Amino acid sequence: MTLAAADLRAFVAAVRKELRTVRRYPTLWLGLVFWPVLLPASYVLMGQAYSGNDPKAIAAFAERSGTVEVAGFVFVGFAMYMWLSTILWGPGTALRTEQMRGTLEAMFLTPTSRLVALFGPPAAALPTLGLTFVVMGAAMWILFGVALPLDGVLRTLIVIAFALPALYAIGTLFAAGVLRFGEIGPIVQLVRGIFVLACGITFPVLMLPGWAQAVASVLPPTYIVQDIRAVLLRGLGLADVAGDLAITVGLTAVFAVFAIVIFRALERSARRSGMLGRY
Amino acid sequence: MEELRAALAIARKDMRNLSRYKWSMFATVFIPLYQGVIPAFLFGAAFAVGGRVIGLESAIGTDNLSGFIFMGGVIAGLVATTFWSMAMSLRWEMDLGTLEPTWLTPTRHDTILIGRAIFGVAQFIVGQVILFAVGIAFFGLHFSLNVVYALPALLVAVVAMLGVAYLLAGIVLVIREANFFVDCTNFLYGIASGVSFPITFLPLVLQPLALLLPTTYAMDLLRQHALGARPLFDPALEYVGLIVTTLLVFPVGRWAFARAERTMRVRGTLGQY
Repeated sequence: MTLAAADLRAFVAAVRKELRTVRRYPTLWLGLVFWPVLLPASYVLMGQAYSGNDPKAIAAFAERSGTVEVAGFVFVGFAMYMWLSTILWGPGTALRTEQMRGTLEAMFLTPTSRLVALFGPPAAALPTLGLTFVVMGAAMWILFGVALPLDGVLRTLIVIAFALPALYAIGTLFAAGVLRFGEIGPIVQLVRGIFVLACGITFPVLMLPGWAQAVASVLPPTYIVQDIRAVLLRGLGLADVAGDLAITVGLTAVFAVFAIVIFRALERSARRSGMLGRY
Repeated sequence: MEELRAALAIARKDMRNLSRYKWSMFATVFIPLYQGVIPAFLFGAAFAVGGRVIGLESAIGTDNLSGFIFMGGVIAGLVATTFWSMAMSLRWEMDLGTLEPTWLTPTRHDTILIGRAIFGVAQFIVGQVILFAVGIAFFGLHFSLNVVYALPALLVAVVAMLGVAYLLAGIVLVIREANFFVDCTNFLYGIASGVSFPITFLPLVLQPLALLLPTTYAMDLLRQHALGARPLFDPALEYVGLIVTTLLVFPVGRWAFARAERTMRVRGTLGQY
């Protein structure tokens, strides 16, 4: 068996192990229905209160956000929020969980690639995330009458395919922090907060001051959420968002190289300091 | 007097614990800002026409968006304090394995919850003062000094929330793995109290439920005095609603807590994780 095939087997095993663990905690599934529906729904109702359903207010929102579809704008933003929460912190959580169980050191001694430890467990979250998006789409349709076009959904899947590497690259940066500092949950919370504010998750990026818009322009999630809204709500084609996708790929490359360098450096440091075996 | 000393000791202990976690202290202000205030403010401002949030004006009679959001934050903070600092704190005691020994001390069990409440309310007040300072400095927060007339309503709401805390603590003790339950009910309770938007925008089927919550009336009275917002009902009637719901929820909460405690003693689950 080649090394790549062996790593692939290990990767599948890591995903299966994680899926089996999640299956043992059925209450987690309740959250799958509750938060993806009620969190954005409350924002849509907030939007109705702030706009008073006045055409002038809706037009003002459309000018800033690019769509008159307030419910669609909010639901796509929150889908991105759920996605960010899971993927950004997925690789870090995987390492931290092993660290807390005292199995990280043993795992790093095996001949498997680090990619297995980093991305195996988070990959197990992808089916759940997919289900979350389905629940959100259904809620948007049933509660607010916004039906998503099939071609728009297909284009969205392509945008997501471009987006995944970018998010995993950023997630790897956080994971590297685990090797050096152990508990980095609070930092992640802070960074997630900055992402939520800067990337136009719950409000149009244009509402931010100029300096914050400049920060947003170097964060891949800004382009991802903007492009998903464009293809899903405004009916734009992939050619229309090609420029943004190219920027996303470029930023992904930068983040990925940075993440690899940092991860290797911190792993070396953790081997020297014995941090791998510490809680 | 002994019970008061015990309650203050619990509050001091919680304060000391929090002071050891600098991030948690920072998060007390930062999380409401980035999760609640800033997104809501910028989302609301996206609907502004010529600098005025005309929809809000037609809904509640004022276009003071920052005032609406920050006043909502006061009740949201009070609700969160009730759900997390008071009710859920018993679960953390359970996690640490100290609930049973604490229960065996001669201190009244109510006192344990009241000690938590003292700390929770103190933390809530400090957090709100900082949030309001941030609001005035960066978000153009302004409100009438008539806000002091809402203080009696807020005080009654604190008593009502103590009743809610008793009720929730009883549930937390029985179901044990209560994180998801507390998280969801905290969110729903806040929404139904009108912290994010007027309850008239709730689905019709939920509006009667909102009127059963004391915080709905406290929220309305606070916005009316602070912002000149149009109240749901005559203010005198709202005070009646607030007092009646408080008189109902407090004994119901105490009864539920006592029942839960008895159930746990019978089952021997106080010491279980």
